[in-house]
Amino acid sequence: MSREGASAADIARAAEAAPQGLDPPLSRRMIVAVGWVLGLAIFVLLLRDLGLSFDQFGRGVEKLGRFFSAMWPPSDGGQLPRILRSLAETFAMAFLGTFLGAVAAVPLGLLGAKTIVGQAVIHFLLRRSFDVFRGIPALVWALILISALGLGPLAGILALALEDAPRMAKLFAETIENADERQKEGVRSTGASSLAVLRFGLAPQVAPVWASQMLYFLERNFRSAAVLGIVGAGGIGFELEERIRIFAFDEVIFIVLIYMVCVAMLDFGSQRLRMRLGSA
Amino acid sequence: MISAGRRNTALWLIVFLGVLGWSVHVSDLLGAATAGDPFARIGAFIGRMTPDLRFDALFADRTTQGSFAYWFYDGDKWLAAAIETVEMAIVGTVFGGVISIGLCCLAARNLMPFGPVRWVLKRFFEALRTVPDIILAIVLAAAFGVGPMAGVITLTIATVGSFGKLFTEALEAAEPGPVDGVRAAGGGWFAQIRFGVAPQVLPNLVAYALLRLEINLAAAAALGIVGAGGIGIELERAITYTEFDTYLAVLLIIIAMIMTIDMTSEAIRHRLIGVGNKR
Repeated sequence: MSREGASAADIARAAEAAPQGLDPPLSRRMIVAVGWVLGLAIFVLLLRDLGLSFDQFGRGVEKLGRFFSAMWPPSDGGQLPRILRSLAETFAMAFLGTFLGAVAAVPLGLLGAKTIVGQAVIHFLLRRSFDVFRGIPALVWALILISALGLGPLAGILALALEDAPRMAKLFAETIENADERQKEGVRSTGASSLAVLRFGLAPQVAPVWASQMLYFLERNFRSAAVLGIVGAGGIGFELEERIRIFAFDEVIFIVLIYMVCVAMLDFGSQRLRMRLGSA
Repeated sequence: MISAGRRNTALWLIVFLGVLGWSVHVSDLLGAATAGDPFARIGAFIGRMTPDLRFDALFADRTTQGSFAYWFYDGDKWLAAAIETVEMAIVGTVFGGVISIGLCCLAARNLMPFGPVRWVLKRFFEALRTVPDIILAIVLAAAFGVGPMAGVITLTIATVGSFGKLFTEALEAAEPGPVDGVRAAGGGWFAQIRFGVAPQVLPNLVAYALLRLEINLAAAAALGIVGAGGIGIELERAITYTEFDTYLAVLLIIIAMIMTIDMTSEAIRHRLIGVGNKR
């Protein structure tokens, strides 16, 4: 790197303005170096602990190559109607999961919003419990619900709702807290009841935001719903898993391609709707 | 006279109810929900999920029925599986992050002047984001064998998909001033990235990476269900042997694990980007 553009005087001035910028002290350089070495050492330890080896990786890549070559040409295996039905079921599960999740999340969100429930303790406990349950993936819920409710979409729908409700509740609560207080104040000043304040002061502000958040969750759920079939909770996942187990990769790629088209269509439609909501 | 706004709302309501009714029909929701005696089934299920704890024996050893140790009878093993899950999440996030930084420098408009490369990379990231991680994990577990390697590769791929978009956007949002400054001083492409862009975007990228670590950890908890390593395998085993109280025990370990990592990562993130300018 040449320094033709800067004269010696310029460099001296810069060094005076930021003494550590051009020439950091040795101690700082050491800390950075030691940090890198430590980080790398820990990472290598993690890799060893997981038992990852190049040997296994090489063999896997080779096998994966064979899977890929078996993918062409894609084939529907003569079961197109069944695949389409499964995709429809997947969408239905995603829609109902989102709907039930939202139904549960609205009261939870109201209770979890600082501006609605002034009690700091309730607020803190609710928000923390949202955080706790937020992390549990739908598949984990589905696995146990299958045992309770039997095979089929019902377990999948409830699993999606259980995954979504705490996440939506958190978002809904934040939306409420971000709402403009003045509109609520205005309704309240007319002597309206607290229910009317919610209906006319708060709802018009949060409803479009909530609706667009729900659409976002619908997009997400269509992706989550595709895997629930693996444990028997309905949808396209079952068809996929069955074909992967028997190494019918030409049919797997066919389903994946149709599925990707459906995802793109849903995302597009949902994005258009969200844009309309944003401008409304 | 009905206003246009009201008519519009009514129209959307009809569409919504139509889709709702269709969904209930297709998924046979009502049929499944009312089959047999659902309340009795759920009651029996919750009964079997509740651990059998006796107050006088709570802290006895694992051979005494009614103790915590009896409930968490394989606690050491589950803890080891939980640690493996955390390790998978960390390794997957790091690999994904390193690969993404390289690819995103080629996908950002301000660093890659050649359009077609950017287009191909952006479509590539989108494709990675569309394939659900569990499906990926099944295929990879068939190729790489049952165990954490399939899980790590799955998480790496999922991470590249999401970072591809986030990192590219972060890089494109970088101020051109410092980059121009480095170029004016005679710095090449790497010097421009290292001294012009990196100092601006690095805190944000690390914050994204930590956020992604939380997401990857939750995903990793489920990967074991399809044989891709981590604690999911213990969930699967508990279900296979219909030990529902064991399922609850493993679930509690998962929750504790996720909470620990979330709180650590949150604390680091707030220090990095300052609590004040939280989104």
